[in-house]
Amino acid sequence: MKTRFLMQAALIAAVYAVATILTGAISYGFMQVRVAEALTVLPALTPAAIPGLFIGCVIANILGPYGLADMICGSLATLAAAFFSYKLRHRPILVPLPPVIANGIIVGAMLYYVYNVPVSLPVCMGWVALGELISCYVIGYPLLKLLKKHDRLFK
Amino acid sequence: MLRDITLGQYYQGDSWVHRLDPRIKIIATLAFIIELFVVNSFIGFATAFAVLAVVIAVSRVPLRFILRGLKPIFLIILFTFVVNLFMIDGEILVRIGFLTITREGLYTAVFMATRLILLIIGSSILTLATKPISLTDGIESLMKPFSRFGVPAHELAMMMTIALRFIPTLLEETDKIMKAQQARGADFETGNIFKRAKHLIPILVPLFISAFRIAQDMAMAMEARCYRGGEHRTRMHEMKFSGRDAAAVALMAVFLAIIILERIFI
Repeated sequence: MKTRFLMQAALIAAVYAVATILTGAISYGFMQVRVAEALTVLPALTPAAIPGLFIGCVIANILGPYGLADMICGSLATLAAAFFSYKLRHRPILVPLPPVIANGIIVGAMLYYVYNVPVSLPVCMGWVALGELISCYVIGYPLLKLLKKHDRLFK
Repeated sequence: MLRDITLGQYYQGDSWVHRLDPRIKIIATLAFIIELFVVNSFIGFATAFAVLAVVIAVSRVPLRFILRGLKPIFLIILFTFVVNLFMIDGEILVRIGFLTITREGLYTAVFMATRLILLIIGSSILTLATKPISLTDGIESLMKPFSRFGVPAHELAMMMTIALRFIPTLLEETDKIMKAQQARGADFETGNIFKRAKHLIPILVPLFISAFRIAQDMAMAMEARCYRGGEHRTRMHEMKFSGRDAAAVALMAVFLAIIILERIFI
């Protein structure tokens, strides 16, 4: 049973990385709409998505241009978000909310402090959160509803 | 269509930098990033630049590959530079209409841009000269001390290895799904950003289902071969600390010493 959990997490990570690679141009930085973030609704379906999304984000950020700081901060933001999404799994409308908040705060702060993006801190956080809001609610939420029909797969 | 996507930034090579222990490379990169924030003068940046130049020369990664990594963030660098240049008050050097360039503004602009460029180049060397797989091994080994506090180091590294292995497979799968849907009249190329984003949903669902089938098969195959986690597992490539690694540590130590001396005396 544990091996299955491990493999599900690994494949979720791979799907996250693939989705980021496919939309590479808009997936990094300050005005990002990372389509892969739509997958942050997955913890509502399976807890394997918590480590899965974390690893996926590490890989996506290894492949991206922002280097080590993003590998650490961005991935930890995703991990925290996935955990809270899992906790909110019984209220589907709230499931996509934690990634918006966590990434807005953590990635926004990282871009501001580490990469010195020259806008004020709240603006920086706001832009990242806005991008997340688009990917999590415009793509993520309908995706969650569709995948729920296949929930036999996640058992 | 998707076949020409190069995976990540890795530049195939067999240089000293490529062959360094991945753990040393990760720690050195972290140290370099921290040092860049300690530096507060251009002498420090010149030292950092010299260190980077040595590493790049030894790694034999062509310069254009390194500069390509800067392209996605070029706009941010430019934006930072321009905002700092015009927005800081001080002794006026040039006046163009209502815009003024001050001595302090010029200094800050150049300072910030230099730091940003060094930061990006410094951390992309790590991914340019290290295979994602050895990076994973390095991360696992560095996280091992934390497994005492419940961090599942081996499991995380295992997931990462498997995920890396299946990225090309899933890219191919995505290509097939997109072609199949296009053949049935799906349209991925028109519409505004919201419409385009929504068009990705019908791709993600079958992609998921196929990913979960792979997961199922893999788990079964592994259990049939008695996989039971990290205990007593042996490796094909053992990481060893060699003379090369000692040389790298020495270089970083000299760099650190110069930075500290420079802060104390200048």
